[in-house]
Amino acid sequence: MQTAPAGRITGTVRLASPSSRRLATPGAYPGRRVTPVSERESSELQNVVVFVRLPDGAAPPALPPARAVVRQTDEEFVPHVVAITRGSVVEFPNDDLVFHNVFSLSRASTFDLGRYPKGATRTVTFRRPGIVKVYCHLHSHMSALVRVFDHPHFTVVGGDGTFTLEGLAPGSYDIVAWHERVGEAHAKVTVTAGAASAVAFSLPLKDQ
Amino acid sequence: MTTPAPAPRLVVWLTGVSFAVITGVLGLVFVLLSWQARAGLVDSAARELERSQRWFAEIEGRRVRERQLQAMTIAENPTLKAAVDTYLAETAAGTPPADLLPTIDQEVAKLATVLDARALAVVDLDGRVLSAGGPAGPDWRRGQLLPDLALADATTGAAVVAASRLYLAAVVPLTIGPDAVGAIVSAVPLDEAYAVSLAAGARADIAIVHEGRLVARSPGIPAALDGARLAAGESLDVGGELLVVRQLTVVGATRVYAVSSVTGAAAAATGQLTRVFLGVGALALLLAGLASAWLARVIARPIARLTSSLTHMADTRDLRQPLPRDGVSLELDALAARFDDLRLAVLQAEGESEAAYAGVIGALAAALDARDPYTAGHSQRVASLSVLIAEEMGMPEGDRETLRLGALLHDIGKIGINDAVLRKPTRLTAEEFEHIRMHPVLGARILQPLEFLRPHIPVVELHHERPDGRGYPHGLSGDAIPLAARIAHVADAFDAMTSARAYRPPLPASHALDELRRHTGTDFDAPVVVAMLAVWETRLAPAGGAVPIDPLPFRNPADYTASVRSRAAARDVAQVAS
Repeated sequence: MQTAPAGRITGTVRLASPSSRRLATPGAYPGRRVTPVSERESSELQNVVVFVRLPDGAAPPALPPARAVVRQTDEEFVPHVVAITRGSVVEFPNDDLVFHNVFSLSRASTFDLGRYPKGATRTVTFRRPGIVKVYCHLHSHMSALVRVFDHPHFTVVGGDGTFTLEGLAPGSYDIVAWHERVGEAHAKVTVTAGAASAVAFSLPLKDQ
Repeated sequence: MTTPAPAPRLVVWLTGVSFAVITGVLGLVFVLLSWQARAGLVDSAARELERSQRWFAEIEGRRVRERQLQAMTIAENPTLKAAVDTYLAETAAGTPPADLLPTIDQEVAKLATVLDARALAVVDLDGRVLSAGGPAGPDWRRGQLLPDLALADATTGAAVVAASRLYLAAVVPLTIGPDAVGAIVSAVPLDEAYAVSLAAGARADIAIVHEGRLVARSPGIPAALDGARLAAGESLDVGGELLVVRQLTVVGATRVYAVSSVTGAAAAATGQLTRVFLGVGALALLLAGLASAWLARVIARPIARLTSSLTHMADTRDLRQPLPRDGVSLELDALAARFDDLRLAVLQAEGESEAAYAGVIGALAAALDARDPYTAGHSQRVASLSVLIAEEMGMPEGDRETLRLGALLHDIGKIGINDAVLRKPTRLTAEEFEHIRMHPVLGARILQPLEFLRPHIPVVELHHERPDGRGYPHGLSGDAIPLAARIAHVADAFDAMTSARAYRPPLPASHALDELRRHTGTDFDAPVVVAMLAVWETRLAPAGGAVPIDPLPFRNPADYTASVRSRAAARDVAQVAS
């Protein structure tokens, strides 16, 4: 793999339906919303993760450790979704005037960073792949999602709905576009050396 | 021949009629008022229910909101939210984290203890139970799908059947940011206890109906009631009990009705009405009885008085007194007037017939006198003299009249004596004398058939009796001889002595008076003789010794009748007194 020049995949993601399912009568109950919905809606595409699903038994590639930052700003985790490689460290700096308490009950990584004030930061090293849901003990509306992969072929879709997967060896790949609540979409993409393969996702699928 | 039953008394009639009328009127008024009161009760029960309904809606709305607020507070619990969201996210990713369920259960159980609700449950967006706690938590099995939760309304909540038990649930979404991940359900069972608590609040009985079936009721609701009948109308008749029904709330297929029984209240009101009417009725009947009695008295008493007067007239045959006029009513006065006319007619007829009798008797007396010239005028003189003596002795006028007539007829028996004996100028033989001595008895026998002359019989029969008992025909003595007979005896003797006879000239009056004096106490009654002497002194001597003769046998037929009647009445009174 190292010898062959890598190819890449570029594509777009479109969210065709509301980003989340709700109870039939959501309007009956005034849910607590801190951030205006309009601002959140515009960035909903940034909560979509596109990744390659490696076949079982495939040799785990070497993982470059990385650092990611999830800020606590205006009682909101920013960004809401991050994708990292196994062994990466995520920083959780507190930008708010109030205390926050970051914790997770997820199997992939269970932690509780305790309360800390503005300006302080705590870090978590994610050692197992999987989905890690992160919350704040003090502000129950706050949540973040850390998707931990044990390979490097993933990315978070940009605000314009485009993405690029770099450094893929030529071959056929199973590509997944995943949104926590909307679900996921699959696509078979063949990568040729030195070239860019295009793919377009629509979430959810029409027959879904 | 059967005797008809006597007619009822007037007072009975009047009381009966008043009783019937009053009872009828009171009964009618009672029925009308009862009906009206019942209608009024239905109205007031309906109004009361509507008031309760509004009040209840407010209270119940507050209770639902409270449960909702509690659920909303719980829905903000970060640990519960994180655990549920994480669990659902990983389940969606295909790896359900079994180790998170105890965490969720523990959180739910902890929160349920601070909650008013009987059951606290966490469900996912499809309405599938994830976890449940609270006393009724076991009804909410994990994995159970409760789609009715999606129908939850903010103000009423949702009606949910869990483990075949009906619950009223407040449903609050579990949100993370803008996204709902599930819901918190706070539920109370819609059971008897709930119905009873609602009944206490709504001040009416409560029936809870789910899908047309009566699932819970407070004790006042008849078990026979079903949802269809409750939904049918505002007022129901269940086994004779009138119920007023109002729908209080609708939650999905569940309806809560407030039911109020009018019959109980109506019975109380009718009972009170009955008591009032019995009181009024008793009073009215008492007054009616008194009024009837008074009226009967006013009408019946004059009639009774009239009857009594007529009875008295019939008994005494005294028709002289006019019948009383009460002036109570025209009719009764007219009746009395007609009776008076009748009375006067009878009186006149009786007077005429008695005058006719008296004429006959006068004629008899005159005929007797005519038989014997020596005795001509004797009867009339004896009669007049007897009356003078009686007047001297103070005899009442009625008795004097009886005496006068008796004296006039005293020798009537001599009609039956032979002329030969009667006119014999010589001394009579013993046999002839015996024959003569029969004339008082004969006279009595002649008068006997004539009822109105019977009072005079003693004078006729006993005018020859002597105080010493040696007189005839019976030999009575002393006071056994009536005074009238004793007077007639003296007058007869005096006139006989002073009159001429076939065998002697008349004796001078002084001689006759001496004879009277001499035989006083033996032949003649002493007080009578004294009176005779006084009469001679005061009346006869100044008039030359002549006895004044009244030519008529009766001065006045009516006077005669009156004297007879009053004496008969006096006799009756004496008999009654003895």
